[in-house]
Amino acid sequence: MNFFKRAWLNVWAKKGRSVLLILVSSAILMFVLAGLLIRSAAVKATETAKTNAGATVTLSANRQAAFKKMQSQSSSSTKASRPKLTLTPVKLSDAKNIAKLSNIKSYNVTSSTTVNAKSYDTVSTSTGMGAGGGPGGMKGSSQSSGDTQIDGVTATALTTAFTDNQSKVTKGRGITASDEGTNNVVIEKELASQNNITVGDTLTFKQTTGSKKTIKAKIVGIYKASSSSTSTGPMSVDPANTIYASYTLANTLKGSKYAGTADSVTFNVKNPAKVSATKRAGKQLISSKYSLSTDDAAYQSVKSSMNNVESFANKIVWLVAIAGTIILALIVILMIRERRFEIGVLLSLGEARWKIVAQFFTEMLMVIVIALAVAGVGGKFVGNQLGSQLVAQSTTTQTTSRSSNQPGGGQPGGSNGGNQHGAGGPDSTATTAAATKKANLEISMSAVDLAELGGFGLAITFLSIMIASGGILRLEPKKVLIS
Amino acid sequence: MLRTEGLGYWYQNKDQPLFQQVNLEFEVGQSYAILGHSGSGKTTFLSLIAGLDKPREGAIFLNDRPLTEIGLTHYRRHEVSIVFQAYNLFTYMSPLNNLLTAMAITGASHAGDQDYARQILRDLGIADELMTRNVQHLSGGQQQRVAIARTMCCDAKLVVADEPTGNLDEDNTQAVIAQFQRIAHDQQKCVILVTHEPDVAAQCDQQYRLENKQFVRLAERA
Repeated sequence: MNFFKRAWLNVWAKKGRSVLLILVSSAILMFVLAGLLIRSAAVKATETAKTNAGATVTLSANRQAAFKKMQSQSSSSTKASRPKLTLTPVKLSDAKNIAKLSNIKSYNVTSSTTVNAKSYDTVSTSTGMGAGGGPGGMKGSSQSSGDTQIDGVTATALTTAFTDNQSKVTKGRGITASDEGTNNVVIEKELASQNNITVGDTLTFKQTTGSKKTIKAKIVGIYKASSSSTSTGPMSVDPANTIYASYTLANTLKGSKYAGTADSVTFNVKNPAKVSATKRAGKQLISSKYSLSTDDAAYQSVKSSMNNVESFANKIVWLVAIAGTIILALIVILMIRERRFEIGVLLSLGEARWKIVAQFFTEMLMVIVIALAVAGVGGKFVGNQLGSQLVAQSTTTQTTSRSSNQPGGGQPGGSNGGNQHGAGGPDSTATTAAATKKANLEISMSAVDLAELGGFGLAITFLSIMIASGGILRLEPKKVLIS
Repeated sequence: MLRTEGLGYWYQNKDQPLFQQVNLEFEVGQSYAILGHSGSGKTTFLSLIAGLDKPREGAIFLNDRPLTEIGLTHYRRHEVSIVFQAYNLFTYMSPLNNLLTAMAITGASHAGDQDYARQILRDLGIADELMTRNVQHLSGGQQQRVAIARTMCCDAKLVVADEPTGNLDEDNTQAVIAQFQRIAHDQQKCVILVTHEPDVAAQCDQQYRLENKQFVRLAERA
């Protein structure tokens, strides 16, 4: 194993050349490491997105089926008895069956209606048209409009407005599952301050349908809706007039026939990647009167963005590795040319050719080991810089693409119902914002990354030496030494 | 010890050989000089007996075994030691490491023995403080002595040298020739020198001149 000693003596004696080789190798490995780090960060971000980005499956009335039914009735009816669009409220028993599917994490029942204020004044709005139908118009003609929106939910914490921080409880608490069957409500901060009411106070409102009874409700919390969630469409109420309650209270306000039903039920899935499979399984459990829609925009946005980043990082890794191999091979070829006499002497002493190649490989290996350490220190910095540039570029492309594909920022509420915060409208913006936030790369270095870099370093060294060794294998000592 | 039979060599044209039908014998304990003018083919002959090239015709035998059977790499490693005009030392090493490396590669009986290597260098007039310096810091005469020391520390019985005094002054030339004589007589090795200097050749035990494609034996040294 004399070639080890020779390699060491050579690397040590020719310090200038060794330092130069270390610098070149470090630069190559630094970019390889940056690519590896970005790639693994992108994979990690996609994995995190599976749990954090949150995809949902929403059970609601099948508006399309109902419309078809109405059309078939209208062709056979007279002008006087024109058929109405009748949407069947979702049965909670169906929702509970779907909730038993393995990929369902939690679910939120939504039932909305409107009431008229009695003990308080609503926040006035210039576009104050009723909210009964909303953009999707689920309740449509069956309900009269009031001046206060009641959003009945299982828990406010499960609603998109609260999960995306568009709304925030500032005093008291939000609605929880324990509020089922109670008249507890959470009101908006502006509404509370305008009427000088706070947590613990009661307010009364009047039903807009049926017996138009007056209902007394207890305020358990106050929330603040951010201005970005303000909906200013002609069919909406001022967000300050939206009161959150348990869905059971909303059902009571709508009338006794709505007991055990909901406008829609949103299921949060455990693994967004399997959202389509969950939808298919859910469809087996419901009748055609209902539809299941999915919203995995946040997950898809992160996934797509990270796929771009990962693909680019892969290209960086391979391009730099190939370019690095070629650069190192050229350097080694030049180095070997200048050491032809040494090779000749070694051959004249009877040294095996493979041992001469092994000496050059060992020399490069010593250089690479130091370069690995240098790249390990600098690679994270380069990875961070490159990663943030890539994500920024990728997110911009995503947003531009979304804007051009979906005019208006997303689909309207549709079958989710008039007052349902669905995938469309302002919430879509919120989702995109959340996705963009989640798409940030967290560049961190692990032992696996370093091991992978070591592998690349070894492969680059091996290949460059092999390419350059052709000369050694063909070299005839006589031509070098005696000429 | 070493014998050539019908040895011939040419570069491109067989009709213009450098030498042909060369039948020579070299014995241990003797020093030989091969004389000839530039381009006569004496260095090519040396490269053949050093195992650096293969003859176009004929064969070389070492103790009656053809080199083709021994294998050139094995032959160079264990049987022959070469001294070059340009020294051809490992320039990134000290004299001591040059010797130790040669001993390790050839698997010499004293491989790894620093004291042995130091003693050889000392015998050749390399001072202790020079032994661990880079060889490039040594004079031409000193470098040639290190190259000779490298052949001495290996166990090869055949020592071939190509113009070993070509780059040396008169004093160093005499010292080097004397050293080769000691290698031949004291260490009982066969030393073959290729030179164009008749004065150098005259100090060897036997002389051959390469002329008209044949080796002509000159008068033996008295």
